[in-house]
Amino acid sequence: MRAGLLMLATGAALLVLIALCGFAPTPQQAPGVDFIVTSAPVYKPLAELRGEERFPSGAHLLLVHNRKAEPLVPDFAASADADVSYDGKSVLFAGKKIASDPWQIWELNLQDRSVRRVVTTATDAERPLYLPGGRLVWAQRTPSGFDLDSSDDGRPQKNPPRNPTADPGFLPLSHLHASAFPDAVLQDGRILFEAGFPLGRSSTPELYLVYADGSGVESYRCDHGRARWGGTQLSSGDTIFTHGTSLARFTSPLAHETPVAAPRGEYAGAIAEIAADAWLVSVRAAADEHYAIRLWRPGAPTMKPEFAKQGMDLVEPAPVTPRERPNRHPSGLHPWNYANLLAFDSRLSREGDLKTASASVRLEMQDANGKAISMGTAPVERDGSFFVKVPGDTPIRFTLLNRDGAVVRRERGWFWARGGEQRICVGCHTGPERAAENRVPAVLLHTTTPVDLTVPPKPVKSRGAGQEGN
Amino acid sequence: MRRFAISRFRTSAGACLAALAATFFCASAWNSTARVDAAGESGEILNYASPVEMLFSHDGTQLYVLASQSDEVRVLNAVTYVPIKSIVVGHSPRGFSLSAHGRRLFVANSWDDTVSVIDTQALDVIATWRVGAEPSSVVEDRAGKYLFVANRISDDVAVLDAHTGAEVKRLLAGRGASYITPSAEGQRLYVTHIYPNPGPERTPPESEITVIDTARAEVVDRIPLHGIAGVFHVAISADGRLGAAAELHPKNLVPLAHLEHGGAFVDTLTLFGADVGGKSVEIPLDELDRYSARPFGVAITPDKSRMFVTCGGSEAVLAIDVPHLLRYLRTHRGPYAEDLAASANYVIARIPVGHDPRGATLTPDGRRLLVANRLDDSISVIDTRTDRIISTILLAGSRQLWSMQFSDRIFSAVNDRPNGKPRCSQCHIDERHRQDSPMDLSMRKQVVALRRGEQTFYTARYSFQGQIGCANCHIDSTFDGLEWDLEPDGFGRNIVDNRLLEDIRDTAPYKWNGGNPDVPTECGPRTEKYFWRSETYDDVTLADLVGYILSLPARPNRWRMASGELTTAQERGKELFERTKDKFGYPIPLANRCNYCHSGPLGTDQKSFDVGTKKPTDDSGLFDTPQLTNIALTGPYLHDGSARTLEEIWTIYNPGDKHGRTNDLTKDELNDLIEYLRTR
Repeated sequence: MRAGLLMLATGAALLVLIALCGFAPTPQQAPGVDFIVTSAPVYKPLAELRGEERFPSGAHLLLVHNRKAEPLVPDFAASADADVSYDGKSVLFAGKKIASDPWQIWELNLQDRSVRRVVTTATDAERPLYLPGGRLVWAQRTPSGFDLDSSDDGRPQKNPPRNPTADPGFLPLSHLHASAFPDAVLQDGRILFEAGFPLGRSSTPELYLVYADGSGVESYRCDHGRARWGGTQLSSGDTIFTHGTSLARFTSPLAHETPVAAPRGEYAGAIAEIAADAWLVSVRAAADEHYAIRLWRPGAPTMKPEFAKQGMDLVEPAPVTPRERPNRHPSGLHPWNYANLLAFDSRLSREGDLKTASASVRLEMQDANGKAISMGTAPVERDGSFFVKVPGDTPIRFTLLNRDGAVVRRERGWFWARGGEQRICVGCHTGPERAAENRVPAVLLHTTTPVDLTVPPKPVKSRGAGQEGN
Repeated sequence: MRRFAISRFRTSAGACLAALAATFFCASAWNSTARVDAAGESGEILNYASPVEMLFSHDGTQLYVLASQSDEVRVLNAVTYVPIKSIVVGHSPRGFSLSAHGRRLFVANSWDDTVSVIDTQALDVIATWRVGAEPSSVVEDRAGKYLFVANRISDDVAVLDAHTGAEVKRLLAGRGASYITPSAEGQRLYVTHIYPNPGPERTPPESEITVIDTARAEVVDRIPLHGIAGVFHVAISADGRLGAAAELHPKNLVPLAHLEHGGAFVDTLTLFGADVGGKSVEIPLDELDRYSARPFGVAITPDKSRMFVTCGGSEAVLAIDVPHLLRYLRTHRGPYAEDLAASANYVIARIPVGHDPRGATLTPDGRRLLVANRLDDSISVIDTRTDRIISTILLAGSRQLWSMQFSDRIFSAVNDRPNGKPRCSQCHIDERHRQDSPMDLSMRKQVVALRRGEQTFYTARYSFQGQIGCANCHIDSTFDGLEWDLEPDGFGRNIVDNRLLEDIRDTAPYKWNGGNPDVPTECGPRTEKYFWRSETYDDVTLADLVGYILSLPARPNRWRMASGELTTAQERGKELFERTKDKFGYPIPLANRCNYCHSGPLGTDQKSFDVGTKKPTDDSGLFDTPQLTNIALTGPYLHDGSARTLEEIWTIYNPGDKHGRTNDLTKDELNDLIEYLRTR
């Protein structure tokens, strides 16, 4: 008896020792956390980029606990796209109270199960994501597909930030005649979204970044080519995404993606990291099967079934755990309806540096119907620099012209600058790996006033108009 | 059976006791570590060691730690890291080195302009020699003939007689000469400097590595560092074929519109030597989404397999695979500095350490790297084969204040962390003779807050992707000698010179346009929005930061005589500064008198004036009157740094006498005026 007690005491002491020395398992890191998943009879990957319905037969959010599921919001006719708050206490989701409603943004309090509508719009509002500072971003259906929109979360701020990202209220973030759909909010505060490449034109899915005030839009990486979507940032800082039949990652040191040696399968999109070495993935073996949630430990040859439901696609797993809050982006936008853009050296490009500078640059913008309108030209300095004032919050693109007005190089896609944004491009599609040389661009030695390209010039016969190509 | 039972009982009891003992031992270690923090929180530690450099004794038995804030050299057992002795040296020691035979340790005391000479057998200071202005590094030649001292303020290297300390001559080095590294054989010295050399307005900064032949005590080369402003430690490989200097590559000429893509700084190394073809090659340390802010210390393992770089702002040490690096340079054409993806080819590990890591020292066998975490009072010990921290040495605070408060309390703890799991190995706490603190609580708290504020000042963690911190532009809490194009005013507009931070408490408003009424405004929302471009401080952190900045004193003025009296020239200059009539007897209008705007003890009336220096790119000609604190150090001058020297302010940029009546002065009289200004 005494020996048993002693053994017990020994064991207890050892447990204390183990705990104190840091060998005890960390509950948050252990697999088996509760998660929310979207369950749908049919899930159409990438439908969002075509402006189509991702869940044409409806969808419901399920809360999975110990591999048993219960409806998260049973009184909703449809629900999807769960995003758990940073403190793990509430969930943003897209929902329809009745089937004929458009998708709207709602928030569920996980403690008392109360639900409130966060955003009311006339058309579908989907894929809501929490932003720091009491704001959120979501995809808003438009005639072109989806736009990125943002607003405050409708709650009074306990500690209003000294420098809020934007005024409370609605804020359109993307300005394209094509779909843009949010994937995640990165730790540095930028929004990771998917759209076609070239931006605003093609349907090859690509990942892009934009600040929470809609400024600074750019490709995450410029090794374009393969379709990639469904991005999620890991705690390590790497971003994992899918090509559909494989996973890959962006890392901080590299300007190109690297493969993730995951088992073959069809991946639905974003993975969920539940521990440093454990991911929940939505995957199916073949196109005629349904997506199920599997647990994968990176490096392992196989995945373990975590949760499946007959006849249902299970996608978008979201662990119900607190997570690190990203940094809030302090918007520095000026109160203008235009933007100032400085090209540091337009000769530079990943597609091959130009040996000589172009003579001028032409700006085009898309009107409300998507028609390209020339907004005029600005001179390009010998060092490749130019400085222009462009319309804000509208799709624009640049074309470099030679002395004869012929096209030297044209942007393949469209981008936008926010009203009030001042931005520098290192070159023309130089990629995020290229830093600017430290020198005063020649254009700023001549003038600090940008060439105004915000108003279309009166029609004149252009010498080089017939020589442009696409 | 009974014997077995007893035996089992003994075994169980023994195991239990062992486990409990181990538990207690481990818990003690945790507590001891926690006590350091708790002491910091409660304000018991009134001052800090702030280690910046380390050295091993020639026999490898002792580790010398230069404690810059407690004015000491700490001597530790090189194996156990148990403290052996603390040797008080001069004020604010910044660099030290052993003599060729290892029997003397030279310490450069930056704030009292002395070198302490320590006998390493007796572990006592045996001499204190007067040297130049703000000595920051000291090295003896192998022959034991000369002692070379880098003087930060006089921008030179003083050559002293190594036996007597008598100055033999001075060698011109770069501006803000600070760090000296001998070559492997000791025939060459490589001297770096922290401020860029004076150059034409709005051109890239230029720096150099000054190479000195030790036998001749002559400068034999100046390795140009184009575009660099802020060069710190140099390391030379054991075979002498590779040198590396840690440095800052600012983007001050490009409008500071955003931080991504290296928008404000790129952190680089310049490599030189036979391994890189005898040329200098600049390589970046940053990544696309993560920066290696403020590289400072460099160390190369004896077998040249690894190079380590401390990054003060990133609170990390980078491990570089040297063969990979050299292969990359052979197979890829440069330039490399603008390629943020380049470092993936040679940086193989990023090891988190403490706040503001500075000097890095390898054990003689190269198997361990010691890193001085200046603002944590700790030393990280890294296994150079695994690139992992294997222990952290905690240093006590200031000896003087420590003893005043707690008598002979000695504290040292080492936490070994195999596989990243904390495990205590030893600790030593002696709280005998503990006495009540004579200090009041508010003062204790303030000191702790100041340390937090200093940590905030030196970290880059608050900026977008960790690219920059306050100390990027205010090197060692001073300035950077650069002019910046800040975004809010428009691209290319309102170019502003960076200003010194010392003794600014009573100089509000801030900014050249006087637009910020106080430091919290400057450091809070404005910095968040236009510099860090990311969410920054909570109110407490901001208060600590502001407290630290406002606590920065003016360094001793080197142009003022110790007696406080002025030289004859300075007296003449003072008269000119205070004159009310010009040389022709005409009254000088009030606003054209030097001491009207530059009034009061700090030399500013805290108002804005138009002194005729407006450029076409400036929105206004009204500029805040800058304080004159240590004005001699802070060139270039005027709001946009267009005057490279004090003299140019009046000889070039004051044609209409709007910046004081000076056009009636001869060159000699202008020199007198400048001589006086230098005493401010």
